[in-house]
Amino acid sequence: MSSSNSNGGGYRDGGGGGGGRDSGGGPRRSKFGRFGAPRREVLPEEPLDYKNSPYLAKFVSANGRIQSRKRTGFSGQNQRKLATAIKHARLIGLMPFVGRA
Amino acid sequence: MQRTRTYECMCLLDNREVRKGWDALKNAVSGQFTKHGAKILSSRRWDERRLAYPIKGQHRGTYLLVYFSADTNAVALIRRDMQFNEALLRIMLLEVEEVPQGAYEPEAAFDVNTIPSDDAPPAAAPEPVPEPMPAEESNEARTEA
Repeated sequence: MSSSNSNGGGYRDGGGGGGGRDSGGGPRRSKFGRFGAPRREVLPEEPLDYKNSPYLAKFVSANGRIQSRKRTGFSGQNQRKLATAIKHARLIGLMPFVGRA
Repeated sequence: MQRTRTYECMCLLDNREVRKGWDALKNAVSGQFTKHGAKILSSRRWDERRLAYPIKGQHRGTYLLVYFSADTNAVALIRRDMQFNEALLRIMLLEVEEVPQGAYEPEAAFDVNTIPSDDAPPAAAPEPVPEPMPAEESNEARTEA
């Protein structure tokens, strides 16, 4: 595995002993974790309405899955509005349940 | 206890029925609201477009957007009554706070003969790619070590 780490645990990424992925086998720094940049709230540019399906389609993956808050950056309230709008749009035939229209 | 509220109803209409006459069909759908005491605030064609997936064998449909105010008890009756209308492929009935200003604009002229007769399914879409499951960071590190 690894040799003894003089930094004691290897929590500091890039701090010493080679850094990167093989720095002592300690927990890696998460891309979205608490040590990263503070999360900025993203506001929707257009109303989150089921009739606005071209805008809603930006928050759907190629397979038709709703993107997570981690990706959209929306607040919890807006993320719920987004999910509800996409589900309504699916029911009325404006957006697909699976895949891209 | 009865309360009057404002509702929005998006009706997806069968193009085969729309081609027979738009005004007659629109009045017939509106009549299903007024039959139960609802007051129609706005009723206009929203769009005619290809559906994201076929509904009752139809690949295209015309959307009618209706804003109305009705007693809360009447909504269930309206919804149930509309399910028997074969010209309606789907309905989406939601409560709204207020009617948007654009809903009061006059409806654009609509010629039913301009509806594309292409009811065939669209060209085959590419196969959806399987999405990779989000791998745990620790697992990834373990395999690389």
